[in-house]
Amino acid sequence: MKYRRHTFLWSQVLCWSLGLMWAHDASSQGLLDALNEAVEEPTLPVSATFKDTRIVNVQSNETPAEGVLHFVIAHRFGTLSSGAYDLWGLDNAQMRMAFDYGITDRFAVGVARNTYQKTYEANVKARLLRQSTGPDAFPLSVTWYSVAMANGLRVSALEEPYPFTRRMSYVHQAVLARKMSEDLSIAVIPSFVHRNFVESSGEAHDLFLVGFGGRYKLGPRFSLNGEYHHFLTPTFGDAFSPSLSLGVDIETGGHVFQLHITNARGMFERSFLAEPLGTWRDGNVYFGFNLSRVFTVKS
Amino acid sequence: MTRDGHVHFFSSTPIEDIEADNHQMSGLLDASTGEFAFQVQMRAFHFEKALMEEHFNENYVESESHPSATFQGTIEPWDPDLKNGESHDVVAKGTFECHGIAQAQEIRGKISWSDEAWRIEAEFEVALADHSIDVPAVVRDNIAERIDVDVHATLLPR
Repeated sequence: MKYRRHTFLWSQVLCWSLGLMWAHDASSQGLLDALNEAVEEPTLPVSATFKDTRIVNVQSNETPAEGVLHFVIAHRFGTLSSGAYDLWGLDNAQMRMAFDYGITDRFAVGVARNTYQKTYEANVKARLLRQSTGPDAFPLSVTWYSVAMANGLRVSALEEPYPFTRRMSYVHQAVLARKMSEDLSIAVIPSFVHRNFVESSGEAHDLFLVGFGGRYKLGPRFSLNGEYHHFLTPTFGDAFSPSLSLGVDIETGGHVFQLHITNARGMFERSFLAEPLGTWRDGNVYFGFNLSRVFTVKS
Repeated sequence: MTRDGHVHFFSSTPIEDIEADNHQMSGLLDASTGEFAFQVQMRAFHFEKALMEEHFNENYVESESHPSATFQGTIEPWDPDLKNGESHDVVAKGTFECHGIAQAQEIRGKISWSDEAWRIEAEFEVALADHSIDVPAVVRDNIAERIDVDVHATLLPR
């Protein structure tokens, strides 16, 4: 292969030096082609499969870059079906505040606090594989996410003693994402949820789910996003319907605004994967937003 | 030819300076005629801030659809017999393509021959409007309308 390229190039050089009467355009075009023949395009990672580190509720494959602090303020309001008295839920906000920090371009850690169930989170996120183009191209990105969550609600005297371990739950996920084109990115997200304590004895402590997410860009700074999580483990008495969220991403310089409607009340994984409160059928869905801002702490 | 030419660009406004480097410019120079072709991969430009790099690729040069920028043409006047250490002021006349839009460009620069290699250096300006690179109103004060570009490369005989 290498040899053939050399001969090709030398034959062209020979042509010019013999002074063959090529049109100027044709010959310089030839030089660019020769350049493309001679230089292998470099292997480069695909960037911005998703605009933010989340699709709506669930993690995307993206992590903050090295030395970047990613700060997120997110709200979920009350149900749209609550009517005009509660201004369709706007009177009833739940907040999540999160700090994620990129230790390297491929490894990030984060902490968060949620109004909902006064839950604290600590998480790690690692890009195991990155989609790339070029001679060593790889077709998809694989990102790992693990989060530990602690419920911070006070318990009544009747429930005492209440060991701390009951408050804990854990979620582990693999985000398999592919940027199909400039506009379309898709993700498949298998999740494992472990809850140390469940409300009713029939409920499973361990749940497996498979999620599907995607975004479609309608403009350079605007996209439609969606995600759905299917229970692979049956849940007790169908108390919870699967998590389904639809929204948009709007990017303005250093901020990303994500506006969405979801049937999950909480913004941490246990809540939106295993225990989404609302149902789309009855309009018991919540309007909400994630607002993220990045700070370059270390350049 | 070269595979590791250096391209640097600089956007300067009162609000913000933005710059990026690319050390993977490739180029071919026909030493008998002075004809040349240079190419850079847009995604190989590295910025100080990761978000700038993402915006550059996603929103401005749209490197998924337009992965590279090229400049091809002829160096004038062309002197194939430069002596070792000798340097000439020249003009590179040709077609500069970026963001899928080709424009005629004349770039002033220097070429020299030393240690069995051609060395080129040049500085020029690229107007974003010439290449249909749109800057939204909110960040119009952060990004210069004309970007200063400088290029250095050492081309070894193949």
